[in-house]
Amino acid sequence: MPNNSSDTIPSDSSASQPAIEVRSLHKSFGSLSVLRDVSLSVGEGEVVSVIGPSGSGKSTLARCICRLEEINSGEIYLYGKRTDRSSHSNRDIARLVGMIFQQFNLFPHLSVLDNLTLSPIRILGLSREDAVENAMALLKRVGLEEKRNARPSELSGGQCQRVAIARALAMNPKIMLFDEPTSALDPELVGEVLDVIAGLVDSGMTMMIITHEMMFAKEVSDRVLFMADGNIVEQGHPKKIFSCPEVPRTRLFLQRLLVHFGKELTEGDEKEACRYDA
Amino acid sequence: MTLDFSAIVPYLHMLFAGAKVTIQASLLSVFFGALLGIFVGALRVVPLAPVRAAAAAYIYIIRGTPLLIQLFLIYFGLPSLGLNLPAFTAGIIGLSINSSGYVGEIVRGGIEAVPKGQWEASKVLGLSYLKTMRFIILPQAIRNMLPAIGNEFVTLIKESSLLSTLAITELTMVGQQVRSVTYASFETFIVVGIIYLVLTSVTSFSLQYVEKKWKVS
Repeated sequence: MPNNSSDTIPSDSSASQPAIEVRSLHKSFGSLSVLRDVSLSVGEGEVVSVIGPSGSGKSTLARCICRLEEINSGEIYLYGKRTDRSSHSNRDIARLVGMIFQQFNLFPHLSVLDNLTLSPIRILGLSREDAVENAMALLKRVGLEEKRNARPSELSGGQCQRVAIARALAMNPKIMLFDEPTSALDPELVGEVLDVIAGLVDSGMTMMIITHEMMFAKEVSDRVLFMADGNIVEQGHPKKIFSCPEVPRTRLFLQRLLVHFGKELTEGDEKEACRYDA
Repeated sequence: MTLDFSAIVPYLHMLFAGAKVTIQASLLSVFFGALLGIFVGALRVVPLAPVRAAAAAYIYIIRGTPLLIQLFLIYFGLPSLGLNLPAFTAGIIGLSINSSGYVGEIVRGGIEAVPKGQWEASKVLGLSYLKTMRFIILPQAIRNMLPAIGNEFVTLIKESSLLSTLAITELTMVGQQVRSVTYASFETFIVVGIIYLVLTSVTSFSLQYVEKKWKVS
């Protein structure tokens, strides 16, 4: 099971070391405590979805893992290397973790191709030819080869997010973090982005997906975390979380969602075995 | 009274030569002023408080004192430190430094107008602060800044008339010379004014053209 509380500091040699290990993470913005003692372990190749109400600290957790936020206390290990201190350059972190933002954050002054090749050339030291070849393969993977010379302003939101995913993959990271990747998209564009993410899941990449797309989370995840008030309230197999959550807070959250999404979320999953007494 | 421009016609070539010096001085100053200004503006947003404060103080002093005094300090003041600069060089240095204070503020504004997400995306893609600045932030900021930089160029063309106080034979200085020979004060300075107007108009129209081109591409 993930989230074991072994005291051994992960070492580089261990084959079973988790891809992401977070220990007793605290993060606050001024007097606002956003993450309160969060511990988490994500195994190599594991796909973890994080759900929960807004303000629960989901995004902050992802932003701490890729070091966009400095943490107040606790420890973060990526493949056994402690990364929450400034001894790691942006480059070191980027080779381990790719991050996808809600607002895509493509570089508007660069073509799609240049968005993908800038970092591999400038940071990884690839030749332009190699970087372009690699980028074209990735654009093909997200179905946007023909947009290589387009500017981000000429793309739809869904296309932008697919380019952003390709751009993150161009750094060849071991872990991908998705911070509400479809929340800024028009409903009809959500599917194309989820398809690309699902394709990544199939490729066996370690992933952490913060999402409000419950059906998607249920389908692709190995594990679902429910966060509220800066804590991981409950976690487990998606079927368990969505069908028979144990914690009242989780149940409340999912019940509110069910009002909007109908019953499909829980249908067909050993529903008989669940007895709510709420 | 009647205006008689015929008196100054024989001296028009002198005025044009003066205009040429004005153009040279403005071009050189806007170039060095922008270079220095981008540097100072970038220092204004560096994540090191003492550096930011020093850049802020520089801008504060430059913008808070008259250009004429800055020119006098460089041309008449520096020789007491053993640094004798030719008038034209001193003038260019003075104008450039003065302009850098204003460009610095423009650059700071332009940099701060680039969305925070651009910094974050650059960071997770492994770019250092300097590379982010060079490849991501400044190219976008300069585009935002272009209209304001254009205004600064126009301002410089006009302020370069102060170089006449260093006896540099730019347009205003030549105008004074022509006036002292012809005694046609009104006519001379009307013509000088028109030449300035032509210079500033050509500059702002060309900049508007460049801006449009940039927006399309």
